[in-house]
Amino acid sequence: MAKQEQRKRTEAVRLPVIVVFFTATWLWAWLWMGDVMRVARESSFWSAEGLLMQFMDGRPWEAISRAGRMLLTAYRWPWLGGLLMAVLLSKATWLMGYCLRLRGWWQMLQFVPAGVWLCYVSYLGFNLYFETETGLIMGIPLLAVVVLLTVALIIRSFSHTHRFPNPLKGTRGGTLVQNRVQSIVAVAIVALAIGVSHWMRPYVRVTARMQRQMLEQDWRGMAETARENAELSYRPIAAYYAIALVMTGEQATRLFDIRMDYDDPHILGFNGTGSDAMNYYLMDCDLAAGLVQTAIHHAMEHMTMNGPTLRALKTLTKCALLTGEWVVAEKYLRIMEHVPFEGDFVAKYRPMLRRPDLVAQDAEFSRVRLTEPIHDNFENLLTQPVFLGYNAALNEGRSVNALWNSLLVHIYTKTMPQFIARCRPIQGATPPQTIAEALLLMSTKYPDVMKAFPGLNFNQGRLLTFMQEVRPYMGSHELRAEHARELFPKWKGYYPYYYFFGNLKATKRKDKSNVGSSNQGVN
Amino acid sequence: MGRTIVIATLAAVLVSCGKHKYVVPTDFAQIDSIAPIYPDYTDIVVPPNIAPLNFALPVTGATEMAVLFEGEKEGKLVAGAGKELKVDIDSAEWHRLLEQNRGAGIRVSIFACMPQGWVRFQPHSLEVAEEDIDPYLSYRLIEPGYELYRQVGLYQRNLTNFDERPIYENNRAYSDEHNHCVNCHNYQNYSTRQMLFHVRANHGGTIIVRNGKAEKVQIKGDSILTAGVYPSWHPKKNLIAFSTNKTGQAFHLYHNEKIEVLDEASDLLLYNADTHEVSRVLGDTTKFETFPCWSPDGLWLYYCTANEPQSAETLNLPDSMAEMRRVLLYNKFHYDIRRLPYNEQTGLFGPSEMVVDCSSRERSASFPRVSPDGRYLLFAEGDYGQFHIWHKSSDLFVKDLQTDSIYPLTEANSDDVDSYHTWSSNGRWIVFSSRRMDGNYTRPFITYFDRQGHAHKAFCLPQHDPDHNILLLKSYNVPELTRDAVRISERELRQCIYETEGTMATYHALKRVTH
Repeated sequence: MAKQEQRKRTEAVRLPVIVVFFTATWLWAWLWMGDVMRVARESSFWSAEGLLMQFMDGRPWEAISRAGRMLLTAYRWPWLGGLLMAVLLSKATWLMGYCLRLRGWWQMLQFVPAGVWLCYVSYLGFNLYFETETGLIMGIPLLAVVVLLTVALIIRSFSHTHRFPNPLKGTRGGTLVQNRVQSIVAVAIVALAIGVSHWMRPYVRVTARMQRQMLEQDWRGMAETARENAELSYRPIAAYYAIALVMTGEQATRLFDIRMDYDDPHILGFNGTGSDAMNYYLMDCDLAAGLVQTAIHHAMEHMTMNGPTLRALKTLTKCALLTGEWVVAEKYLRIMEHVPFEGDFVAKYRPMLRRPDLVAQDAEFSRVRLTEPIHDNFENLLTQPVFLGYNAALNEGRSVNALWNSLLVHIYTKTMPQFIARCRPIQGATPPQTIAEALLLMSTKYPDVMKAFPGLNFNQGRLLTFMQEVRPYMGSHELRAEHARELFPKWKGYYPYYYFFGNLKATKRKDKSNVGSSNQGVN
Repeated sequence: MGRTIVIATLAAVLVSCGKHKYVVPTDFAQIDSIAPIYPDYTDIVVPPNIAPLNFALPVTGATEMAVLFEGEKEGKLVAGAGKELKVDIDSAEWHRLLEQNRGAGIRVSIFACMPQGWVRFQPHSLEVAEEDIDPYLSYRLIEPGYELYRQVGLYQRNLTNFDERPIYENNRAYSDEHNHCVNCHNYQNYSTRQMLFHVRANHGGTIIVRNGKAEKVQIKGDSILTAGVYPSWHPKKNLIAFSTNKTGQAFHLYHNEKIEVLDEASDLLLYNADTHEVSRVLGDTTKFETFPCWSPDGLWLYYCTANEPQSAETLNLPDSMAEMRRVLLYNKFHYDIRRLPYNEQTGLFGPSEMVVDCSSRERSASFPRVSPDGRYLLFAEGDYGQFHIWHKSSDLFVKDLQTDSIYPLTEANSDDVDSYHTWSSNGRWIVFSSRRMDGNYTRPFITYFDRQGHAHKAFCLPQHDPDHNILLLKSYNVPELTRDAVRISERELRQCIYETEGTMATYHALKRVTH
């Protein structure tokens, strides 16, 4: 009797391990990976309309990819998408334990598949959704559930003794210690996945957060996110930071607030070889730079290579509104109407059809208009990427923002003679901070600069302090590279720091994600 | 017998359950305007064998629609739609009505159920021509633009219904090893017995199908510029004229056109499919010759040609920057249409003669196609260049080769791109590509070309779901009409493409080409 009481008490204090695992994975999939998955959703496409999904016909893993893409649409709200992901992973874990009849310590094996998946997803980083099949993100867990459920039902049909355990109750058999250890393991697996993404792919969540903020047109938030992670130096972060600054008009004052000495993002293109992720942000940068037709070009290439994605369709819609191509804008909006949970986007942009006045009033579009070209040119005649090459060659702009962008491209690429030459139109004026810092730095080489910009004298003290402090490290390129990081916290945002210590890693590898000539043709 | 009756009864019940019977309202208010149907099928001439012209009625507030087709000679057809306002016309009834009214008109009355009651729009008409259109249209489906391609295919559509089947599709999943493009499909004399298309990149070559057998050929070599590109099959002989083009693209930054396709160099070739010999027909390095086209009697080879433009601003650019020079002068390329007489006995070409002089008018002609009766030369004319599918100024023109008069097909043309045209085998129909629907995605349009040499209002290729044109994210490329369906299977073509290296064409100099 006493033994029975004891057993009852033990049962009562047992933790429902599956529920613990479900909760931990939900929090992971929602709060930790929410932005990443939201961006994955934007890089994906699913519609119940058959014609729109024809691009999936005959692809490997077609059925599971289609189902996975459908489930991924729930990530419009990360809590909901995360919930689905957690349900799938914990269900697969629970079924795994049931099918293998795991008992006692062996029960920990049930976490292996889901744990491996969590860590793998964290390790993939951008490759989770960039130039790859997005349907597998949710599709693989779904497949696992379907397979295990089938096996479980077969077992249940032939075995009257092997009943489905109640996941709300603790472990199947075993001691209280085993139950506690399993609960810890359930949480530890999620912690391990968090560790993998934090230590191995630290830029992924930051970039995704900025992209999510961009979707919400929270430009200040985007810039803040980048600055909070200023020491992370990856091209996608820098690209989205530049976009945020262009949209807030802060590009000429805060561009160098983040470290720009790009580390390898470990991103793979279609052909499975490394890439510097240029294609990841190209169309967004084109649009922010006012190069609407170039944005159409790259969005179209993106759709050609990946099939339709929400990102590309949204970019194309915006571009069509900016170019006044109302009918094709309407076409894209009609397509978006067939995508679940995209009503907000359609509701926002549909009223702009055939209403150039409303297009002009839109905050984002009005910024884009400021730097749209005045004259036609050809992308082919410009240095790549075009959003830099165009600004580097700019001769005439629509606004002072165009001039700032052009000057910033030259100081970013450290092409100083061109920078000095391009400053002539603003001689005598007080330039924005970053441009003033660059001019002052160049005045040591070009004394005439000081005559043209007498106001620069005020800043000479800071430059002298900087030069004195960095003198010990100026000996060689290697020495500068070695000490760049330790100097960054003190001198971040200061152009002379960037000039001497920024962007030192010349990326020698070519962008291999730009699919080679074998995939090019006249279409 | 009993079982047959049961099945027939069940089928009848199912059919009657499946098809909603629409009734034409008797009580309605009359509206002065014509119904704004999509696609626009109002007041057009249609082939008697065309698939049902299903359409949508995008009218806000309408909850139901009824359509009454009344034949001028005989017959009536009632169709309709629920709240989705998309008419799905019964195919059998449609074809019966068209057949009954061959050479006559059909009056179309559209009724919409509005909140205040039924309304009737002004009726419009369909004129049913006497002549059929060739039943098969083949085309390539590809995203509209730019440099890259991924999933592309050649497809064949039965114009009498909505069946579309792939002739050949490339690999669906990305693969460095297998990625390839297919383009430039062409047929001899509107028959699929002899056809060809190119495969580019991996497994590349020209696939020539003769009497149901596919063969891969490599038409390239030191003596010719590049591989064969734009083809034209001699109507009687196993000779194929190709242009060979070194082609590039330039992308506009701020222009109402998006892309300019430019040739760095181009020549004309003649390939003998029997002997695998290739010869250069024209190879003047100061000229750009392209888009060959045989006349239906096989005695003339039409082609486009332009001189390299010169300008003071680019004159000083070194030869190494020749490509840049051409890009900068893209709008100074003006192509004329010329032709070479061909002697079938000797296999020699005679001196070239001008057919359409566009360059003197600072205009540019492209893509000549001669009508099956040999009387009309159909071509696309635009402001400049030769790849008119990207030129908004491009319109269809014809030259009456009997009277030498040249005129635009105004009734068929639009404000947007109209190009890449093909005649039907009876010469009464023209199918062409147009970007008129949205300015970006090309769709095939059909126009009737009457005996007086005039085109009529063009209409879009009918689709089962009218929204197909909106939802499809690919362009229709190079529409070609044929009398019969492609016989060779996709599997056989794939086998030829993947498993053979291809026969190398041998270069054979033509004895003489006189300009």
